[in-house]
Amino acid sequence: MEENMERNMERNMKRKSRGRQKIEMVKMKNESNLQVTFSKRRSGLFKKASELNTLCGADIAIIVFSPGGKVYSFGHPNVDTMVNRFKNINQPFPNPNNNMRLSEVQPHTFNLQMNDVLTQVMNDTEIAKKKSEEIRKKRKNSKRPENWWENPVEEFDLAQTQEIFVKVENLKKVVADEASKNFQVFPHPNFCVGSSSGALFRDGGYINPNLDQYEQRRMFNVNAYYNQNMYPPIYQLPYGNNSYAGGYVPDQYNLNFMHAFNQYQNQNQNLGFKDEGIPENERHQDGHPPHF
Amino acid sequence: MARNRAKMTFLENNTSRKATFRKRKEGLMKKASELSILCGVAVAVIIEGEYSSVPEVFPREDVGSVIDKWDKLSQADKDKKMVNHEKYLKQRIEKAKEKLNKVNKENREMEMKELMFDCLRNKTAPCFLGPNELRDLGVFIDQYIKILSRRIETLTNNQGSSSTSVVPAAAGTTSVAMPTAAMGSSSTGFNNMIEENMNEIPNVKDFDLNRCSEE
Repeated sequence: MEENMERNMERNMKRKSRGRQKIEMVKMKNESNLQVTFSKRRSGLFKKASELNTLCGADIAIIVFSPGGKVYSFGHPNVDTMVNRFKNINQPFPNPNNNMRLSEVQPHTFNLQMNDVLTQVMNDTEIAKKKSEEIRKKRKNSKRPENWWENPVEEFDLAQTQEIFVKVENLKKVVADEASKNFQVFPHPNFCVGSSSGALFRDGGYINPNLDQYEQRRMFNVNAYYNQNMYPPIYQLPYGNNSYAGGYVPDQYNLNFMHAFNQYQNQNQNLGFKDEGIPENERHQDGHPPHF
Repeated sequence: MARNRAKMTFLENNTSRKATFRKRKEGLMKKASELSILCGVAVAVIIEGEYSSVPEVFPREDVGSVIDKWDKLSQADKDKKMVNHEKYLKQRIEKAKEKLNKVNKENREMEMKELMFDCLRNKTAPCFLGPNELRDLGVFIDQYIKILSRRIETLTNNQGSSSTSVVPAAAGTTSVAMPTAAMGSSSTGFNNMIEENMNEIPNVKDFDLNRCSEE
């Protein structure tokens, strides 16, 4: 009971940001805090304006002068139009155009589409963050590290570093070997790959001599994904308890020998990483029996 | 966080749209006021809703002075930080995508680190991995080797100081935050290795399991 009280006190003292605390409605004293506040609140204000228009179809304009004298503005349809409309209201004779928009509350298509995309991205980010948590938790909970080389590199001495260096270099060679086997396919144009155990692609996908489809399967451009509203499949690898739900390939990871991937060109959205789902006996056989 | 983003779409229901408009408009005006006071800056808001032929403005009495200030600006100054709705949404999407990329990349790196360790622990081996894993694992290994090399360099340069001195890695304090290896930047990069292998396919190098298994 006392422990809890202590912990609560600690947590309150450690509080990093002031969020959800009441603040005084006077000009802020601290210059840098003021800058940060301005930036965040201005951003939030524009967001609210965007949402007000999306939800209710209202036209809106916001003009904000920064502490440094710069001007930020947001407008739907646009700032200049709105300002002009507003000025014309004060004409001696009422301007019929001002009432025009009363019947025009429908939102524009771009608005809905882009908001959809934005929502998707944010949801995906939530998912990815949760996955982050899981990964970290898993690592914490397992009784590792079982081996000294699982610790941070900074803790190694020279001999250890050199030792693990050799091991990792060797592993790299094996990985490269294995990877190059996947490129061994330059088949005769008439060669059709069936679903035999030698197949690289489980669905017996046609292998183009230009490795076009393979390239498409290997590349995964997030931009294309968002353009086509497709989700990358999440899958489990068949070995052990570890699940490497891969499939996402950040741009830097694109080992893309035939480069120049055009995101708008991605016709084949069958980015099915089905090869990852191949059970062991159907995998590319390299002559070695599986072993753990 | 993000408890509300659920349905950002036009409200067809007239009643809810009207209520939402009223509440959100009020909230927006309040936020505008807070921004103006807290930061001591001029703010103007003009809202034209479907329920009134007269626009609602902030500041209620004195919006004109802010508009005057605005009028005095050159068109260039006005345009510099002006956004319409479409441009605004584009910017937000870009930022959100960057963030998503970042998180995904970190996740992938953590996974690849585990995978590398699993290989070293003999829980698995490259022959069981699909092309995506192999590729990403290769990239990660390259990064890791770089870090190891740097560590070796630092330690050999510091020869003479205690062998247990902890020299902070250039990359940062956690071993997960690794520098991104630019593609092909290392002379024996993964990319190059595969290309070499494509030309002459060697036997699988001896992956000495026995040697790795005990530590």
